[in-house]
Amino acid sequence: MKQWIALAVVAPTLLLGVEKETCPFGPFDLRSPREQQASLNHQLSAVAEAVAPSGRRRSATPPAGDVSYPVSVNYIDDEIFGKMKTDGIRPAPMSSDEEFLRRVTIDLTGQIPDPATVLAFLADKSADKRAKTIDALLASDAFNDRWTMWFGDLVQNVQVSANSREFPQGRNAYYTYIHDSIKANKPYDQMVRELLGGMGDSFLAGPPNYWVRQIQPNGPIQDTYDNLAAESGRMFLGMPMQCISCHNGLGHLDQVNLYLKGHARYDFWGNASFFSRGRFAKSDKNVNNSSYVITEATTGSYQLNTTSGNKTARAPIGTQTTVSPSFLMTGETPRAGEAWRDAYGRMLTANPQFSLAAVNYLWQQMFGLAIVEPANNMDPTRYDPNNLPAGQTVQPNHPALLTRLGSDFTANHYDLRAILRTMAMSNAYQLSTQYTASTWNESWTPYYARHIPRRLMAEALLDAVAKSTSAPITYTVSGGLPAVTSAMKLPDTLEVRGNVYGRFLDEFGRGNRDDEPRENDSSIAQALSLMNDGTVVVNRTHRATANSTVAKVLASTTDPNSIADQLYLNTLSRYPTASEKAQAVAYLKSGTLANKTEDLQWVLLNSLEFLFD
Amino acid sequence: MARPRLPKSTIECPDCTKASGFPLGQSEGFSRRRFMQIAGTGLVASYFADVLSPRLLQGATTAGGVYLRATAKNAIFIFLPGAPSNIDTWDLKEGAWTPSDFNPTSYDNNNVRFPQGLMPMTAAQLDKMTFVRSGLSWAAVHTLGQAWVQIARNPGGATGSIAPHIGAVVALESQINRKPTDVLPGFIALNSTGIPASGYFPASYAPFQVVPAATGLPTIAHPDGASRFSDRWSFMQQLDSARTTGALGKATLDMNDFYTQSKALMDAPNINAVFSFSTAEHTKYGATTFGDSLIVARNIVAAGKGTRFVQATLGGWDHHSGIYTKPANGVNSLYTQCAQFDPAYASLLADLSTMPGSVSGKTLLDETLVVIVAEFGRTVGVLNNQAGRDHNLRMTTVWAGGGIRGGNVIGKTDVTGGSVADFGWSGNRDIRPEDVVSTIYSALGIDYTTMRHDDPLNRGFEYVPFAKDGTYKPIDEMF
Repeated sequence: MKQWIALAVVAPTLLLGVEKETCPFGPFDLRSPREQQASLNHQLSAVAEAVAPSGRRRSATPPAGDVSYPVSVNYIDDEIFGKMKTDGIRPAPMSSDEEFLRRVTIDLTGQIPDPATVLAFLADKSADKRAKTIDALLASDAFNDRWTMWFGDLVQNVQVSANSREFPQGRNAYYTYIHDSIKANKPYDQMVRELLGGMGDSFLAGPPNYWVRQIQPNGPIQDTYDNLAAESGRMFLGMPMQCISCHNGLGHLDQVNLYLKGHARYDFWGNASFFSRGRFAKSDKNVNNSSYVITEATTGSYQLNTTSGNKTARAPIGTQTTVSPSFLMTGETPRAGEAWRDAYGRMLTANPQFSLAAVNYLWQQMFGLAIVEPANNMDPTRYDPNNLPAGQTVQPNHPALLTRLGSDFTANHYDLRAILRTMAMSNAYQLSTQYTASTWNESWTPYYARHIPRRLMAEALLDAVAKSTSAPITYTVSGGLPAVTSAMKLPDTLEVRGNVYGRFLDEFGRGNRDDEPRENDSSIAQALSLMNDGTVVVNRTHRATANSTVAKVLASTTDPNSIADQLYLNTLSRYPTASEKAQAVAYLKSGTLANKTEDLQWVLLNSLEFLFD
Repeated sequence: MARPRLPKSTIECPDCTKASGFPLGQSEGFSRRRFMQIAGTGLVASYFADVLSPRLLQGATTAGGVYLRATAKNAIFIFLPGAPSNIDTWDLKEGAWTPSDFNPTSYDNNNVRFPQGLMPMTAAQLDKMTFVRSGLSWAAVHTLGQAWVQIARNPGGATGSIAPHIGAVVALESQINRKPTDVLPGFIALNSTGIPASGYFPASYAPFQVVPAATGLPTIAHPDGASRFSDRWSFMQQLDSARTTGALGKATLDMNDFYTQSKALMDAPNINAVFSFSTAEHTKYGATTFGDSLIVARNIVAAGKGTRFVQATLGGWDHHSGIYTKPANGVNSLYTQCAQFDPAYASLLADLSTMPGSVSGKTLLDETLVVIVAEFGRTVGVLNNQAGRDHNLRMTTVWAGGGIRGGNVIGKTDVTGGSVADFGWSGNRDIRPEDVVSTIYSALGIDYTTMRHDDPLNRGFEYVPFAKDGTYKPIDEMF
């Protein structure tokens, strides 16, 4: 890793007139990445875990008196368990089949498992049944929906934001492009190159919307170029490049990102210059909500001639009035005849940081806590524990693991399914949430010594409510896409507004792919909706709701044992424990069976196990 | 009355001083006591994260020595997105364009000319209102300007992406003063879906979103009845053992805490009455959703159950065409918008001014800051070729209650209303959204120069960017 950092050519820092000790311009604050808050929330919920008493366990064998570690199935286990051994940390037991199946199904597809799938999985005695399940999930349609949602969050594909307007048609084109690409298992680096070089009509093709999303309406064209470059850094390199887009990051970058502190606004302009031959125009300038057409000119460059907008002035440096493209991390320049944006995509996706940022995001999705948090503020100067700047700490909680994941992703040609498979296959991923070896100590979280539970993302939870109660929801979608029956299929997080389902999704923190990041923390509004929202939750527990799980169960049996089994299976994707079953049966017998069955369904929908993964 | 100073820092935090640019000794730090107070709130999570991750800092610093008004207990933030025309309303400029039925009328010894015909009920409340006419927006783009005034900063700026709504800041700041009977969330937003929320703060500070309905909150009562709910709640407590064992981790216990708080809200006597209203009140406030919002806003501040910031929103002011079109089916013009606004706002001020406050001798209006804000103003002079007005940065904000002297005008625009003739305040410059928010914070006793050190970007989160440097400040002339 040291080697490629050393390769970075640090352009000479030019003394620009705007440099001061503190940010000198009152009105226009520094621009910086539209950070995704999800990473922080993962960290907060995870890192802040209380010293919780070890809980009742429903899975796996208790560890022996001496510390035993799961076998290593791949390099992830080598690294995770190796470090735990070194530091004397005990892992949680392996997840039970039920816990594993629900978790991996939610993580890979955003859905809870079908009851039939649960039963088949439990009945399967083959040694490789977890691997077979992972492969089936990776090949499923639901996988495409869930990871399209992830990629859409990453690039903030949305019909309208504070700055920009893709409109529903552009958003749909972008969504369709992402979904098709995920479905075809298009390499992640290829997708990113296609976005960065996107050409054409934004309503007809997806990639031009990368540009449309970054149009800055209240500033000169250079502000848009800056957005395009800075956001590519935040999204695809996991680095807040916007920090150096105004004043070299003076006064605060020490605390933020040492790597970027080593660079200057001039370097950033070199990065932004790659976009300065891109052109955008309304396809019909007389129509307010027409598409944009993105083209690439063969001349032009980044001009140093602005005095207004969202940034401090861009003034000529001596006689130099333009900045030529030069990749911030390496100093590379376009090849002869190469379109500048294509050159940028080539350089960005070839940089090791591109792979590291991606695997860090993906790890966060699968393990609940990224190796580097926040995942969009990675600092390459702080990766190597043996080569740290004075007074600095190592940023990754497991540097060697990060490196190996990045190398693996690159070696496997940025195959999303392959890297996710490697993660899901690891015994580190398959540890139980429940920690029984001793009293849990919060400092073990960065070791991944237990699975870190997370509240289901908004769309996954709503889908889980509908699926477990067998009462599906149809959502209409604007801009010409057909209606969908899964919230995870919604093309952005602004669809479904003004009704109870939209309210539910908002309450559960889906965000707006702009200034409201996706969140997975909890609130009063969430609890009230889960307990009391008639349309979204409570009516779905009613036997009067046609074909609901409760209606079907009551039609099939009057045996409380069977009712308890079926409701647990449909809702929590497992059968009740003996204790749970005894309590449930006693409750079901304590009054009118139909009413008590509805009550049990409601209680299971409100159980913490249902809400968390 | 200045806010009591917090004790000096007892936790060494050298990075804070670097980030905020002044030596530790001159800044208010993060006291142990303050921590223990915060520890009772959702912020405990970020504190422990700080301990484990040196990259994150804790605590907050302020410029120090700032004079805070602390004249208001509550704020009602009336947001008018789309942006009404100032020269037809709060800063009336009469010309050949002015419809005669606006009936421009002089009030308060000609201090104010007001379109009495357009807003007759509001005209009767002018003695309570102060117009700040030297306001200037930063952005003539709706979404940008709207976010800007609600988060007190450039949405595209460094901290724009993590910034909470100003109401969330108020909710967080008021958290330490909450009483056990304070069952309502600190920030409630009425008919205001899609507004900024908690930013990087915990979701508990996000606006509690309510679309007003005569029957109250849709999820406050269990739809299958209290008896069934009681059975279900008890059985849930019994069966879901993870709620007590914590076997699924702290995040699940946080969720369980919110269940407990929700139950307290459901059990609080008459709490749904706060969100409900009669047909008579609905009619009095104009029989609109906006009117309903202001009834509920009134009820919320009157209830005194922990809510400190209420937002009510009335959109539809983007009159690029037909701004003076007379009301008819399907028409949206100043007439139709003001017909919604006028009875609601005027009734709110009238009601608050006659209702007792929490302190003897004070009215509810005395204790409640009511501020009207839009994202910008509209073009001045003759109408455009669509008989409308386009976006313009010059804007007026309207203030009442909460320690504001009524019947006052700050700032004077020129004869057209397009530029400022007299800024009218000690800042002697345009009054920006950041100044507006500083004023709201000051009135509520919140130090607008605060810089938190728990933000995920680790660059310090300023409640009002650059306020600690003196760039922005409250409009003290109003008090």
